This record gives sequence, structure tokens and C-alpha cells, in this order.
Amino acid sequence: MVTTLYDVAYFLSSSLLDALGTHLPGILGTALTNSGLIWLLAAVIFGAILLGASMINTIMLIWFERKMLGRFMDRRGAMHVGFAGLLQNFADGLKLFRKNTFKPREADALGYYSGPTAYMVTSLLIFGILPISSGWSDGSLPLTLLLALVIFSFAPLFIFVSAWSSNNKYSLLGGMRSAAQMIAYEVPILIAVVAVVVVAGSFDLTTIVNEQQNYWFWGPLFLALVVFVTGMLAEMERIPFDLPEAEAELVEGWNTEYGGMLFAFFMLADYLRALVGSILVVLLFLGGWTLPSYLPAGLTSFPLAGILWFMIKTYLVFGLFVWIRASLPRVRTDQLLRVGWMRMIPLSLLSIVLAVVLVAVRCLPVFGCLPPVGGT
Amino acid sequence: MAASAPPPEKTEENPILWVARPMWTAARQFAKSLVRPSTIIYPFERLEDPKFRDEVQVASGKPIGVGHVWDNYRGVHALNIATCISCNLCAFSCPDVCIEMVTVPGGDPKHPKKCPQIDYGKCSYCGFCSDACPEGCLSMTTRYELSSPKRADLVYSPQKMYEVFQRKLPMSPIRLERPANEDAILLDAPLCIGCNACARDCPTNCITMLDIPKAVAKPGEKLPRRIWKEPVVNDSDCVRCGTCISVCPKECLFWGTHP
Ligand code: SF4
Ligand code: SF4
Ligand code: SF4
Repeated sequence: MVTTLYDVAYFLSSSLLDALGTHLPGILGTALTNSGLIWLLAAVIFGAILLGASMINTIMLIWFERKMLGRFMDRRGAMHVGFAGLLQNFADGLKLFRKNTFKPREADALGYYSGPTAYMVTSLLIFGILPISSGWSDGSLPLTLLLALVIFSFAPLFIFVSAWSSNNKYSLLGGMRSAAQMIAYEVPILIAVVAVVVVAGSFDLTTIVNEQQNYWFWGPLFLALVVFVTGMLAEMERIPFDLPEAEAELVEGWNTEYGGMLFAFFMLADYLRALVGSILVVLLFLGGWTLPSYLPAGLTSFPLAGILWFMIKTYLVFGLFVWIRASLPRVRTDQLLRVGWMRMIPLSLLSIVLAVVLVAVRCLPVFGCLPPVGGT
Repeated sequence: MAASAPPPEKTEENPILWVARPMWTAARQFAKSLVRPSTIIYPFERLEDPKFRDEVQVASGKPIGVGHVWDNYRGVHALNIATCISCNLCAFSCPDVCIEMVTVPGGDPKHPKKCPQIDYGKCSYCGFCSDACPEGCLSMTTRYELSSPKRADLVYSPQKMYEVFQRKLPMSPIRLERPANEDAILLDAPLCIGCNACARDCPTNCITMLDIPKAVAKPGEKLPRRIWKEPVVNDSDCVRCGTCISVCPKECLFWGTHP
């Protein structure tokens, strides 16, 4: 039986209201259990689960990065709060939460406050629509991938709004760099995704994952993977593409003026986007929650196995990002834009051609055959 | 944005290598420190631990003292209260004026025993005080941990430094021999009134008030009123602290060489 996450939320909400209803007198009890309250509560629980999952994962991701980066730098990373420093980031978050939120006198209040909030909310939205395992969403969104990428590309707008309304030259410069960079890398990412869509024949992420049951797409679509990962690095503004917040030049880039919880919003949203980027790589190229069929079936048959494997893959992909961050220096703006427009776009176009060839051939000697069209 | 002409590119080697080589280096480092990073978790582990000592020795190629701290490291002072003679030389020689002589139990009520108290907030660990100490009772140890959340904790009383002394940590070398041609305390005898102040305050009790031959008054001459004793300094016991000079009410003691 495949239960979706919403089913779980609905079950929780209905059993809660039922339990409440039996204890309430007559008409009130029936009103409680038979009204639309169940759906409302189910939606709230659904959202709460998603929020919790995304926040915990984001914070764990920061811990993971700190630990891994520590090893790359021959040190240990956070290690004192909680076991192996697991609670360090929660402590940091608590500290930021307790801090005063203030606004520079000359800043524009509307943009200053709404920028980080919208950035955070849109990043959360993407996490909400991505399927984490086969039972996560019921596939009622046929264009999940497109929707995710569209929401993903909102970010430069909010960054620019908050940068501009901060009324600080460093913020503004960072915001402009960010907008230029994100727009430049939006294009190759979308084209690279088209290659996946061509092969999988669908914009639905669940279908794309199911299409990878014979072989994962990272092999045959390696070019698209390279373009996608590079583009994602730029979208997440991680080293080597962290020009918008180049500390050496721009203080802290577009969030120079932010402190306290608003800064925490930016920080969390940044890592949330890194999480979402890693999840997208796993979904599009690494077979999502599935494992290769030659591995024993016992590895995937226990409850929540899909989520487990998915998370392991996601963290490994994020590990790759950290590895890149630990290795490469920051590029220059002109290099960044030249690579974006003059290398990445031709490469992504080439990957579409390869994808078309792959669909025409359908069988590759090394990787095996694609499933028949329309079937799963 | 990319309107400005890009600088001419030098492609001597494959750009893939620009990415691949640092990533390979980073991966090697990662694999190496996955077992144990070079970082020593300081408050919990320390370089003095035997397991790190070998590494340090190999790295510096030099012999080491106890742990990684050299034998003559100038850390927290150790004070042997029992042998301190309250000569004030340490406080006198401190360039940072961080030594204050405070009373410790053990002296007689008229002449309380005073020992140095050091404010490590000001101390520059120059070691002048322990060099100056004539009795070798103030010395610097290899103890280097004295951070504290309160400034007041940095003021080490004589008792606290005595505790450090009792731990028998390695101490910096003590120089006890005195320079050969040191100035001695001389007396401008006609000025001396025989008040005994110097002999009373000398920390080493090396001043003795000796009788001097009584001057015979010629007829009609009036002799100045005198107590017929004057100080004689035992040079080998004198530590040259200068206390006698500073307590003398008539300024009749001075530094000089014996004729
Ligand atoms: S080490 Fe130097 S600065 Fe410190 S108490 Fe002694 S004389 Fe003063
Ligand atoms: S120099 Fe030595 S003997 Fe003299 S007061 Fe200081 S510690 Fe005591
Ligand atoms: S300098 Fe004077 S007070 Fe000090 S030890 Fe010598 S004689 Fe005694």
C-alpha cells in the first residue's frame, strides 16, 4: 500500500478530531468530526511535517558541511554542543533568534523585511513539492519539475529587493552580481533539465525517477549532469561562484545589513536551496529513492527505505558541493559570466542532442535499455 | 556585464586540470584527516601527552623539555615563601610594576614579613624578578595556563605562587652567584647618628652596630651629640637590596667600592 505524506497527515488529523469529538457532547462532537475542519487540520499538519523535515535537514546540512569542511582543512569542525557538535547549529540558531532585529535608518522597511521572508518562503515551497520517496506525494502535480525550477528562479528578485532596500553599496553590488549570475545560470540549467525531460518523457519528478529503474541518468546524460551541477553551484552561490557575497570584497554581499533572525532567514534559505539543489540532482540523475536492481531487494523493502536511500544520496551530492567548495578558489565575474554564457549553454544544447540520440537508440550497451514509452 | 573586453587568456595547460588538481589535493587531505586531523583538541588533549610528544620532536627536530614546553620556559612564578627574605628586589626590578609586596603570616608584629604578589594582567614574563631574587626563591615555571574569566583571578598572591612552587614544576635556571666587582654599601661616617634603622630593616641582618672609639674632646671644644655606634656591613652576606640606604634618615649610606 502506498500512502502519501498527505494521507498520514489526514489520518493524524482525523484521529485527533475523532478522539476529541467523542469527548464532546452531542451536536458539538459531530460538528467537529463532520466539518471541513479535518482537511484544514490535515493541511496544517502536512505543512508542519514538511517544515520540520526541511528545517531539520537544513540544519543537519550545515552541520554536515561544517564537519566535512573541517576534515578538508585538517581540523574537526563543531564538536562541543551535543554529540559531535550535532546541536551546535541549533544553538547558533537560538542565539540568532534571541538577537535584536534592527533596520538601518535609511533602509526601506517594506523591501528590507519582505526580501528575506519571501526568499525563505519560496525556498520552503520548493522543498514542499519535491517527492522524497515513492509515498511522498501522490503525483497530482504533473509539472513538478517545472514548478520547482520556476520557484527556484524567483530568488534573484528577492535578493535584489532586499539588497537594494538595505541602502548599502556593498549590498547593492552583491545584489546586482547575484541577479546577473543567477540569470546567467538559469538558462543552462533549464536546458540541461530539458535533456532529462526528453529522455524521461515527463515533467513529473516521480515519473522521472521511475524511468530510471533500468539505469540512472547520470551515465548517459553525464554532460547534462555536469552542466546542472555547475549551474546549481552558481544558483546556490557557493564557492567557487560565491561572488555575490565575496567576503574579501563586499563584506557579506547582499546580506551585509542583515542581522539576527533576518540573517538567519538568509542563511537557512541558502542551505535550504543547497538541499533542494542536491535533491534535484538525486531526482534527475541518481535515481531518486531507488537502488540499482542488481542489489538485493532486502535493501529497499524495509519501511522508510526509500527516504533513507534518498537522504544518503542527497547528503553525498551535498558532500560533492562541499568538496568543490573546499578545493576551488573564487572565480572572477567576467570568468563566471563567460563560462555561463559561452561554455555552459553550448554544452547544455549538446546534451539535448545526446538525449535525443539516446531516445532514438533507446538501448545503450553499457547502461541497458530505457523502459518502453509511457510504461513504468 | 561582459561588455568589457576579457583579458587575454593564457592556456598553457588543460583548464580541466585547474579543477581536477585542487580537488585531488583536497580529497587526499580529506582522506588523511578522516583518520585523525592534525588538530589537537586542546583543553582535552595537550601537546605534553606522550602520544603527541614524539610527533612534536620529529616536527621540530630538536630535543624538547617536559612536553612541548622548554625547560627554561618563563611561565607562572613559583615562590618559596619560607626562604623569601622580603628584600623587595623583585618588586624593584619589575619593569611593569606588577609586583606588590604584601604581608604574609610568619613575621613578627613589628616587622611583618612581606612577599611579592604578582598581577599577571600586567606581567610581561621578562623574568627580571627571578633574576634579581638573591635567594633563588622566586622562579618561573613551565606552567602556562592561567586564563580566567575574571581579572581579579590574575593577581596571584604569595600563597598561590607557593602552591605552584609545591608542584615541583621545572623552573627556569636560578642565578645565585654574585658579580665579582659589585658595589658595596659604604658609610659616610661623620654624618651617621647611630640610629640603628639600617640594621633593623636589613633583610639579611648583615649590618651590625659596632662600637667605635670614643672621640676625645679637646679642652674648650664641644663635641656633637652622638651615640657611639655605627653600622658595619658584612659584604658577603649583603644582597645589595638598598633597603638600608632608603631607610637611613641622614642619607649617610651610599653605593661605592671599598678604598
Ligand atoms: S617577570 Fe618581569 S614583569 Fe613579570 S613580575 Fe617578574 S619582573 Fe615583573
Ligand atoms: S627578591 Fe626574592 S627574597 Fe627578595 S622579596 Fe622578592 S622573592 Fe623575596
Ligand atoms: S643593601 Fe643594606 S639592607 Fe640590603 S642587605 Fe645590604 S646591608 Fe642589608
